[in-house]
Amino acid sequence: MRATVQPHAPSVEPVMSRLDYEQNALHHSCLLVLLRGVGPSRARILQRAFEKVRRVNNIKVTDSSGIVRTIYFRFIHEHPVEHNDWGDFQTHRRLLGLITIGKFENQTELNELCRHHESLKVRYGGTLYESRAIFFGPDAQPSDSIGNHKDGITTVDNAQADASIDLGHKETQHPLAAGRLQDEFTTPSNFKSQAFFYREQDNCIDLESRVSDFLNALFWVLESRRLERSREKAEKVSLLLAPFEKRDFVGLDMESRNNRKRCVGRVMKNLADLSLQAGLLDDALSLYHNANETLRSVGDSLWVGASEEGLCAASAVILYPQMRTSPLRNTPEKWRASDATKKINTPANCADAITSNSSSCSSVSSLLTNNSSASGTPTTSSSSSTSTISAAPFGHQRNGELPGNILKPEEITNYYRKAIINYSKYRHAATIETEAALKATRICIEQNRPLDVAMFLQNILYINLSLSEAERVKRFEIITELYQQIGYQRKAAFFQRLAALKHVQQGSQAPDWTQSYRLMLGSFTGYLLSLDPLEVLENAAGWPALQIDLAQNLITAARRLGQSALATRHMTFLLQTQWDNMTATEQSEMAVQLQNLSAQCEGSPVPLVLENGTVIPPANLTDLPYCLEMVVKDLPTHLRPQRIKIAKADSGPFLFTPIHFNSVDRRDKKKDKNKIAFLWVQNDLSEVCVRLRNPLPFELAVTDMRLLSNGVVFESLPQTVILQPHVPTNVSLHGTPIETGQLDLQGYSTHTLGVKSNCRLKHMRGRHLPPNYLVDVIPALPRISVKTSLPQTATFSNMNKADIVVTSASLTLYNGESSSCTITIKNESSTLPLEHLEVNINSNVEQELQKKMFRIDEQALQAQLPVAPQGMLEFVVYIYAEADFVCPMPAGSLNSSADYGPSSMSHYASVSSGHASLPAGISSPQHRRQDSMQHAASRSTISAAQHSLAALSLQPGGADTSSSLRPQQLTQHIEAQLRLKYSGGEALVAGYCRQCAVSLNLELIPSVQITSWDVLPAEMQFYLVLDISNLTAQEMSLNYTDNKNILIEAKESCRVPIPVDRCSLEQVCAARAAEVAENLERERVKINWLLTGTDIQGVASLRGIVLSHGMVDLTTVSPLEWSISFQDAPVQPHSEIVATVGQRAQLSINLTNQSLQPLKNLVLTIKFYQDYLNGMENYNLETRVAISGPNRITIPVLEKHAQTQHNCSVIFFTPGRFKTSIECVTKPQSHQRNSISTGRSYPAGSTTTSQLETTSTSSFDEQQAHTWKFIPPIEVTVVEQ
Amino acid sequence: MAFCIAVIGKDNAPLYLATSDLERELDLQYHVHAALDVVEEKCLIGKGAPDSKELYLGLLYSTEIHKIYGFVTNSRVKFIVVIDSSNVALRENEVRAIFRNLHMLYTDAVCNPFYIPGEQLFSKKFDRAVQKLMNGST
Repeated sequence: MRATVQPHAPSVEPVMSRLDYEQNALHHSCLLVLLRGVGPSRARILQRAFEKVRRVNNIKVTDSSGIVRTIYFRFIHEHPVEHNDWGDFQTHRRLLGLITIGKFENQTELNELCRHHESLKVRYGGTLYESRAIFFGPDAQPSDSIGNHKDGITTVDNAQADASIDLGHKETQHPLAAGRLQDEFTTPSNFKSQAFFYREQDNCIDLESRVSDFLNALFWVLESRRLERSREKAEKVSLLLAPFEKRDFVGLDMESRNNRKRCVGRVMKNLADLSLQAGLLDDALSLYHNANETLRSVGDSLWVGASEEGLCAASAVILYPQMRTSPLRNTPEKWRASDATKKINTPANCADAITSNSSSCSSVSSLLTNNSSASGTPTTSSSSSTSTISAAPFGHQRNGELPGNILKPEEITNYYRKAIINYSKYRHAATIETEAALKATRICIEQNRPLDVAMFLQNILYINLSLSEAERVKRFEIITELYQQIGYQRKAAFFQRLAALKHVQQGSQAPDWTQSYRLMLGSFTGYLLSLDPLEVLENAAGWPALQIDLAQNLITAARRLGQSALATRHMTFLLQTQWDNMTATEQSEMAVQLQNLSAQCEGSPVPLVLENGTVIPPANLTDLPYCLEMVVKDLPTHLRPQRIKIAKADSGPFLFTPIHFNSVDRRDKKKDKNKIAFLWVQNDLSEVCVRLRNPLPFELAVTDMRLLSNGVVFESLPQTVILQPHVPTNVSLHGTPIETGQLDLQGYSTHTLGVKSNCRLKHMRGRHLPPNYLVDVIPALPRISVKTSLPQTATFSNMNKADIVVTSASLTLYNGESSSCTITIKNESSTLPLEHLEVNINSNVEQELQKKMFRIDEQALQAQLPVAPQGMLEFVVYIYAEADFVCPMPAGSLNSSADYGPSSMSHYASVSSGHASLPAGISSPQHRRQDSMQHAASRSTISAAQHSLAALSLQPGGADTSSSLRPQQLTQHIEAQLRLKYSGGEALVAGYCRQCAVSLNLELIPSVQITSWDVLPAEMQFYLVLDISNLTAQEMSLNYTDNKNILIEAKESCRVPIPVDRCSLEQVCAARAAEVAENLERERVKINWLLTGTDIQGVASLRGIVLSHGMVDLTTVSPLEWSISFQDAPVQPHSEIVATVGQRAQLSINLTNQSLQPLKNLVLTIKFYQDYLNGMENYNLETRVAISGPNRITIPVLEKHAQTQHNCSVIFFTPGRFKTSIECVTKPQSHQRNSISTGRSYPAGSTTTSQLETTSTSSFDEQQAHTWKFIPPIEVTVVEQ
Repeated sequence: MAFCIAVIGKDNAPLYLATSDLERELDLQYHVHAALDVVEEKCLIGKGAPDSKELYLGLLYSTEIHKIYGFVTNSRVKFIVVIDSSNVALRENEVRAIFRNLHMLYTDAVCNPFYIPGEQLFSKKFDRAVQKLMNGST
């Protein structure tokens, strides 16, 4: 307790008595007892004894008139002797009793304790009535005889006149230990006091009763003094003096009327004090009133003040007895909470006390005034000139009823004020004045009058009191405490801070930083600061300038204390909370300070606990650096998890609607604002990008930045950055989720300016940051690395989804060349197997073409699964350089077709040297060209009139060919992506996979080009004649049939005839001519090329070659079977037929329809002509030959397998060689007279492409004019008879 | 005349503070801040009686150097003036006059449509006028 706490109290007392800050009005009625621990203190043991003694703070005494009086005692631990000097002035200042408590182990110590006790007795001898010593001895030894050791106690008992009854039986339990102790140890001879001995472990049951006895003794002495005083004759009394007054009255005439009065007044006041102490409140009140009157009349201000104060005290004792038991228990919170109760509170208390007794009145004030007016007590002006200083006429206090001359609650304040004013007239009464002010304050607190409290407290500061610094501080502290009690937090804080500053003010010999720090911290609430920076930021209240100043002072104190951790913490706090309230320079200064402080002790976000239990919560520099943005990054595209099966999107008819049909949608969206749409993968390094700005004007190094997370275990990797001033910097923070589930990213931690901080998003203000980010972490997925057997490209493609490309391969191929690419996949993950692999190809070419170009053996691939961790998988992509080998027709290449014919034939006959046996007759067929070509628009310019052409639209030579190369035939680039979807392990079960891609860049170089083509008939076959150009820079060997090769120089061109078997008409009858041609050629014609000197080879396809109908006719087997007999002999090809001039020769033509369909509208034409073999043919043979019957025979229909026969006779008039051209033409119906019936009437030449297309679906034979000839023409040699 | 003139918002946050002596500004701020308790108390008492139109709160407290006077507007904006204690020539009426003037200046400043009530006052005009008021030249 205090005895142990106060050893540092200055031993040198000032001349003026020391202030007793704890005093309140009720202490006026107490008897002062010094309770002192002596000897080497053993706090624990003595503590108990102290408390036991202290508990006996009042006794009830029945006086001679039978009235029970309650006498109160006040135990103190320290009492300056000078205070006793004021005992005449105010008797309660006199020390009346002494109790020492000590502990000894042996005789020497006991002697020492006794010496202490005696010395104290001597010290306070002037006022002391009685004293006791309580000694605790060592514990008992077991085998001790019970001697005659009760002496001490019995003497005690005897000494106490009014021993209470129960003491007796208590004593009987006790004697064993105590007696023996006293037996063992003897008090020195000079020790005259009574002592109680106890064993150390004794629970000293009788201690309280003994103390009570002791207090009784004190009372009776006091009572005797009171009686003595009351019986004094007014004329005989001596002048009572306050200590400083002694000199003032030297040499004055004490017998003057004034001084007599003064004497009487003072004695009366003194008696009042004693009465108050002796529990005679009514007497005390009356006496005070009287004394007040008397003294005022002589202008004895000091004593008037004292009597006024006494009046207040006496009233307070009656009005506020609760102040004694629980001083100021009324917490300010309670009564400041509701204004309504506030004003009523105190009066109500009084009212309660009175109403039980008052019959007529309910209000205190009215009761009081009634009483006072009725009784005529001298509260006003009635001067009572009592000759003896006897008790007031009111006599004894009636139980529970208020005495009539009591001060009303509101009067108490006034009286105190008056008293203080009176005191203030005396410089030496400053202590008294201060104490009076404090007492008044406490009364006002009890009365709930904060303004008066403030007034009194403020007044204390004015009192000119020469105080030591420590005392001054104490004064501030007590003021603080009182302000706090009335809830004036700001005032309290003001004084608390002053006290704190006083502790350490300059010039102070022993600055006490601990106290200073404690007080500073205490004043935080007054300035609306909380220790938790979050709260401070939340409230954003208070006066920034003051808050900054206070925090800085606190930092200084902490630093001076050597508590670097605290200093760092407070500095962090200051920066964090007051950042916005500081100027830029201040900010940077503080930051530098923090850096210096943290150099001594690093700050970390853990609560600090002070010795007194105060917890200082962590302070985090959330805005240093200032976070502008935090973005959770998805995994790199090629590692991004995907659903293996893409969930079917909402299959409603509306893909998008801006209308929200219900608010539920929107709410959901809002709720999941911080929910990240993508996924992270367990064990995969993930990234969060933070944009930071350094608000300080110097470089800020942020080390050990990590992500803060909740939820699943997350391993965060530290990151260090140096931020340049004011430049936003992006920082990537990495980490790896270790588990699956939901990861809650809350922010990041930093280590900057020597302080570790946890910067959580929710604590960052003024930005639109969500409080956290939620990321779903899915089970681990395997990772693969992909390699190809081809070299990589330098450039990546700009294709769709280019970001998933992990590697690339480039390949250059000649058109038609084949190659392959081996792709090696390695499962990089160390634990997960690769169980699922899907491969597909995307490219910038059409799907059809792509299929031709790329081929993967899917089955072989799947057979290799699963791939063990770190295992490999290989598969091959076959690549074929598919391209258009056919050159689109240059517009100018046909206009001179008429000039060709034989000459051109001869040209290519010469080239195709190995094919010289090709019969010349192949040039004879006539192509009806009224049908325009489907693909080459230029061909539509050819008029139907050209139908007699031997339409060899071949281009003349190689030189020409190269010049007509189209840009299309330049190098072609194809980009393709080989996309791999793979998965394994748990993630596969969960339905996730990853996708990566290999970019394939193909460069296709032209190799061979077919610049033009034609079809030439042969007997069982036909010849496809192609102009082929070698577009490479190398010599090329072209293999065009099984055994025929031709070498083409670089950039040269040559004409190649390829014999092709005809196909039956049945195969093609339903198909379109162009397609037929294409299919035919592709199936049967193979053009392999090989670049000589290299092993580069390829195949050229004929796709794109379009044949005219005439050509198609040639490629197919004729549906008509000719069976011609001349003069009844069947005609064999190239057989010699001889006829005679003038004789009739029989020509019989038999036609059989071999096709599957009937042929309609056939016209059989028989013509004779003479071939001059120079290119001239003479059809004007009217004078040389005649045919019986028509030479044009119309056959309306020829059914399937039907035959028709035409017979005629021929007569040659002149000898010579004649040729017979027999042909059969089917006419389209449009050409016929019955065009109306068929509904089609197309002029032959104007058939357009579109019309062709529309009709092409109809029967093959009906649409187009076909011409079937009997070839070779029959040659008849006519001889003379 | 006055050491310090402060305008304090109804939530007791400082809106404006002018001092004649910059070095002592912090100290004065502490004093002004400490005076708020009494102001609040007085406002509380005033609340009970709505008739009392008295805005002037009188002397809040005084120290050796300062006398601190308070004034509260109907919108509970508080004015606090710190005056030199040693200047005995200054009558209470003059203090009242200071407050009246200050009140007018404040209303003028607050009439600025760009001023958001409850924010700190940064009006230069107001500042000039208050400085003048402090120097007693009005």
